Amino acid sequence: MASVLSQELVTTAALLLGVSLVVFLILYLAPGDPFAALLGGRNLSGAERDAAFEALGIPKTWYGQYLTWIAHVLQGDFGISMRSGQPVVREIFSSGMKTLFLTVGSLIVTLAVAVPIAAYSAVQPSSLRARAGTLLVYLFSALPTFWLGYMLIYFFTRKLGLFPILSATDETQEYGWLYALLPVVLLGLGNGALSEIVRYLREEISRVMSEEYVRTARAKGASIWRHAYKEALLLPVSQIIAAKMPFVLGGAIIVEQVFNWPGLGRVAWQAAQDRDYPVIMAVTLLAAIVVRLGSFLHRTVYVAVNPRASQQ
Amino acid sequence: MKTNYHQDVDTVSEYSQLSAWKSASTGDRLNVVYGLTVVLVVVVSYVLGAFSWLPHDPEAMDLDTMMAGPFTNGYLLGTDFMGRDILTRLILGIQAYFLPGVLAVIIALGLGSLLGVLSGYWRRRFEALVTYFANLIDSLPRLVLMLLVIAAFRPNIYTIMVVFGITTAPTIAMLVKGKVMMLRERNFIESAVALGLSPGVIIFKHILWYNCRALLLIQATIGMAEAVLIETSLSYLGFGVQEPTPSWGNMVQAGANYLLQGNFWPSTAPAIAIMLTVLGFHLLGDGLNNILEGRQNR
Repeated sequence: MASVLSQELVTTAALLLGVSLVVFLILYLAPGDPFAALLGGRNLSGAERDAAFEALGIPKTWYGQYLTWIAHVLQGDFGISMRSGQPVVREIFSSGMKTLFLTVGSLIVTLAVAVPIAAYSAVQPSSLRARAGTLLVYLFSALPTFWLGYMLIYFFTRKLGLFPILSATDETQEYGWLYALLPVVLLGLGNGALSEIVRYLREEISRVMSEEYVRTARAKGASIWRHAYKEALLLPVSQIIAAKMPFVLGGAIIVEQVFNWPGLGRVAWQAAQDRDYPVIMAVTLLAAIVVRLGSFLHRTVYVAVNPRASQQ
Repeated sequence: MKTNYHQDVDTVSEYSQLSAWKSASTGDRLNVVYGLTVVLVVVVSYVLGAFSWLPHDPEAMDLDTMMAGPFTNGYLLGTDFMGRDILTRLILGIQAYFLPGVLAVIIALGLGSLLGVLSGYWRRRFEALVTYFANLIDSLPRLVLMLLVIAAFRPNIYTIMVVFGITTAPTIAMLVKGKVMMLRERNFIESAVALGLSPGVIIFKHILWYNCRALLLIQATIGMAEAVLIETSLSYLGFGVQEPTPSWGNMVQAGANYLLQGNFWPSTAPAIAIMLTVLGFHLLGDGLNNILEGRQNR
């Protein structure tokens, strides 16, 4: 088991290195000079530029610049935000925690909705309730998240009057968990992947339910749940969390925009507006790390549950 | 009795394609019919918009009829908060995603097929490389990558859709790869190899055209659904089409403030359009999948 996982760890590291190169190259090829913004908007000519680079200790070749940047990143130094002048790490950390809360919460909501519908429609595929559930899931997946968000805000602020429409970030503190619940539910239902998740879970559950060992368990009156939960639920769920992580992170950008949620999504949006290169680079890398981490955790679960996997 | 095997095989495949529709469940047929209707409406609206055959001027403001509901004063779907005809703007909004979406789908299918065939047909040489490339792209959340590209290049929607096409390619590549690996073991491909057919003919004719076209068609419909969602999301975020040029995303966004005051329609009409379209493409893909592919998997 350890050898399989250490191999997986090497793959993860190789992929993250590749991601960092892609991120660097995109910004390296960008028109305009990222350093011009740092130097007060002045576009430097050749000789001046070389002198400035030398004074700052920046290599001239692209791979030299990449190596310098990645060396800093590995030490946890993502540079200084061009917008706020703060170290990027500090900005990323506080907003990252808020996005973490949002994404983890939304995954729980997604699974709480998807698992019962999938299980029910796997066991009774042609029943009216299963069909209604599936149709509802499809409708939710097709609705634009941002419109759904505004409808939620309208319903809870105007109709129920639970809190005023919030704009500033510090106001959200007062209303606490109730206000935090709305974006979590929205991201859980409206990240666009719900229908795919339900379909995948349903197929896995109905496949496992027709396996011979489940039939044997049923025949001798043993608990089907105890025999099948690993293959029918644990693996598909961890697979979904790993595979849908990118969608959840992408959806978080929209949801945070609707709710003025001060997380990474808004930071990324602002950075794209301002062309704040250090920030957008850091957010992209962090997102990739989270995605790879999810994938690694899934592999761990897979190897732990499936003894054959560690013999290969 | 002599049997002409070749002819038999042909009749069987012809027969099974016809019978696939006949033996399809009512639900699958309804899905396909609904999906095709949506495709037809979108294509016709796109042509109408391209030639400016519109019921009203998309930017003309009728200050007497603002935020009207459907069927008022000759405005079939009502007017928005500036008295502009919503139906006209919905039709014109299709311009924002249709061609870029088609471009994205073509790139995704082309690149996906290429990678899938490479890693499935010549596994020893290309599998590791393609898997690495696919995992690399999958590591970057699509919207985050797009924000990065937007920050770097300030691109137009076509460039963004190229990025979208590239990020969709790995999914298609893995599906094609699975198909190629399965087909490679089958007798007819082995016979084709033994007959000395060139890899090009085997791959393009016997693998991609005869055996992957259903899969690619299904992925194309799903790709269009995602293209609509991506374009509307970016327009909503303010990185796509800008007011006053309509896009379904910026129409929802522009109407949002009025929605919070209780005037739902200007924001909800484009939201419904998005939902019906995305649903149509998804159900078309699902129905086709059950009808054309499900039979083989069973």
